[in-house]
Amino acid sequence: MKQCFLFLIIVVLLVTSSFAANVEIVYWTHTDTARTELENRYIEEFEAMYPNVTIKRVYNEASKMGDLILTAFSGNVGPDIFNLQTEQLFSYIVNGRVSPVDPKALGVKNVEEYVAQYSKGTFQPVTYDGEIYGVPLELTNWCIFINKRLFREGGLNPETDYPKTWEEMMEVSEKLTQRNGEIITRRAFDFRYPYYLVSMLPMVQQLGGDIISPDGKEAIYNEEAWLKVLTYFRDWGIHGKNLGNPTYTNARKTWNKDNGDMIMCLSGLYQEGRLKTDNPEFYDSGEWMVVPFPVFEDAVNDLGAASYGHFWMVNAQSSKTKQEWAWKFLDYMRGHAEEFLEYVYLVQPIKTLVESDLFKNMPYSNVFLEDLEKSNSVYINENGKMIEEKIGIAVQAVMLSGTDPADALEQLKKDVQEILDDSY
Amino acid sequence: MARHRKFGMEHNKAKWGIIFILPSLIFFAVFSFYPIINAFYLSFHRKDLLSLRAPKFIGFDNYTYLFGSSNFWNSVLSTTFFTLGTFIPLLVFSLILAAFIMSRKRFQKFFQMAFYSPAVLSSVVAAVIWLLVFDPRGLGNQMLNTLFNSPGVDHKWLATDTMLRLSTIIVYFWKYIGYFTIIFIAGISSIPKQLHEAAYIDGANIWQGFWRVTFPLLKPTVLLVSVMSMIQCLKTFSTQYLFTVSGTPSKPINVITLNIYNTAIRDHRIGRASAMSVLLFIIMLFFTGMQIKGSKSDDVTYM
Repeated sequence: MKQCFLFLIIVVLLVTSSFAANVEIVYWTHTDTARTELENRYIEEFEAMYPNVTIKRVYNEASKMGDLILTAFSGNVGPDIFNLQTEQLFSYIVNGRVSPVDPKALGVKNVEEYVAQYSKGTFQPVTYDGEIYGVPLELTNWCIFINKRLFREGGLNPETDYPKTWEEMMEVSEKLTQRNGEIITRRAFDFRYPYYLVSMLPMVQQLGGDIISPDGKEAIYNEEAWLKVLTYFRDWGIHGKNLGNPTYTNARKTWNKDNGDMIMCLSGLYQEGRLKTDNPEFYDSGEWMVVPFPVFEDAVNDLGAASYGHFWMVNAQSSKTKQEWAWKFLDYMRGHAEEFLEYVYLVQPIKTLVESDLFKNMPYSNVFLEDLEKSNSVYINENGKMIEEKIGIAVQAVMLSGTDPADALEQLKKDVQEILDDSY
Repeated sequence: MARHRKFGMEHNKAKWGIIFILPSLIFFAVFSFYPIINAFYLSFHRKDLLSLRAPKFIGFDNYTYLFGSSNFWNSVLSTTFFTLGTFIPLLVFSLILAAFIMSRKRFQKFFQMAFYSPAVLSSVVAAVIWLLVFDPRGLGNQMLNTLFNSPGVDHKWLATDTMLRLSTIIVYFWKYIGYFTIIFIAGISSIPKQLHEAAYIDGANIWQGFWRVTFPLLKPTVLLVSVMSMIQCLKTFSTQYLFTVSGTPSKPINVITLNIYNTAIRDHRIGRASAMSVLLFIIMLFFTGMQIKGSKSDDVTYM
């Protein structure tokens, strides 16, 4: 009897000690100085609330995150929490590498209540087989940032002459671009070249085109629309009006410097936060403004740039205990959405936040919101990155190699059709 | 009895030899041999990098797909352009530079250090430096325009197919020329001086001394450098990767290794990427074998 009692005590002690044991949650994210400061504070607060939990935050360059996380997951040693762009997340979801949301740990009664807290369509990119995956870190759409001083230097009035259509964009850029012979010394505007699904595909969609036909069989739907956009890019590049091309320095980063190199660039609301950090003088100068994503004159769809997001995900291979704590920590972070907006300029699309004065009072937030309301979500497909690369090859061919847009289109159609037909 | 003892000593020596090489053997087995075997295995399977399902055996399907893929043949072509454009100049100029440095009575060490220093830099840093040089407003255009008195001309270093290929060749040539020069210098230093002295007494000039004495005796080093530089060129990756990531067109410089990376990491098709790496391995083995076989026919030794 005594032995039995002793055994019972040992079992109880073991069980309770295992509950009290330290749980270490590994969280991988990308570099962002302002967000790092904020999240480190949340980690400290969360650890103080739950002394048995330790959060280990590891950050890396945004451009490396996709490769690092993929490599870790392929070796079955992925972090407990990570965030990636929506286009990259789809493969993790369909392959069962991330777990569906845990409503209880997120402090809601059920998934419906959780979804209802966010703006319409927020979870569209992370919904699969009726399940919802992840917590939104940010939802972004791109508009045009204008340096008003440089615009005026070119003899134009930014308030009235800013480009509303892509045709006007070409016209205005021709007036504002400065060159030394063939070499551009001041670009009026340039595209964000690797992100063809976010900014170029919407241009095609404005004209009624798409990657796949509505019946899902034909690649590069509405060739006329694609041809018009490829011709536009040809005219933009070195074989046309020489207004810019992918070999010049990244337009978005150059724009922040206000050094006379870049007048307009394409970016999201987060650009304001980065501008504030990189060049506070320019931020406070009142010499910049944001205008909507242009639309073609003969557009059949009034669309902004595609919206995309970053979602926090929880590793499905982590232990149940770790998963539960991971969701709890994410719930704690999403509870501070106002601070993410105020200090990092990241919009977590929570209804109350989007409707708040804080959001409404942010410079040009209304421009982003109005464009967002008429935007499509970025194209999500397991082969999305492959298709984006093929679009990139077509754009580079017309802009840099002087390939005829019709020939580039023919090759693009063949390549994308091959990807769609390839049942690997 | 004595023979038995000798055998025992040798056996003992061999045992210690094995013990000493065991750590590197284990290291090689885990980090090189296992991945090679695994790549062969995966090349016959369909496997998504993120899938938790076991690889599915598909026989030679990955190879059949690659042989019919225009993308793969474009990579073969890009690799061929790069290898021929880099490996031959590397071989020729590193030999010339080594002969030049060895002919100097002063500043030999300085020249060795100066030429070798780019090899110490990481490929990433080298590519970033050269991206700045090749920028339309960079040193590349400025230098050529000053040289040819052609202000404002954009030579499109990173834009047109030919210039882009040339740019990657320049980066690689700049980075590795010093490395192979040092190998040639070591080879030239190992040739006994008496042979040159005898040749000069017999009336040979410097030119004849190089072609009739130095060069024939340098054949093993030439073979070593040609095999090493060719393999290096066939394996080139980081320059092309960084260039494409920075916005240059990918098609002209989509070398096989870059295609392997994209197929595995971007497309998650690890089976197909493995098949491509096996094919690259076979290509390297074939050309290395050919070079070794070709060089054996005219071996030269000291008398």
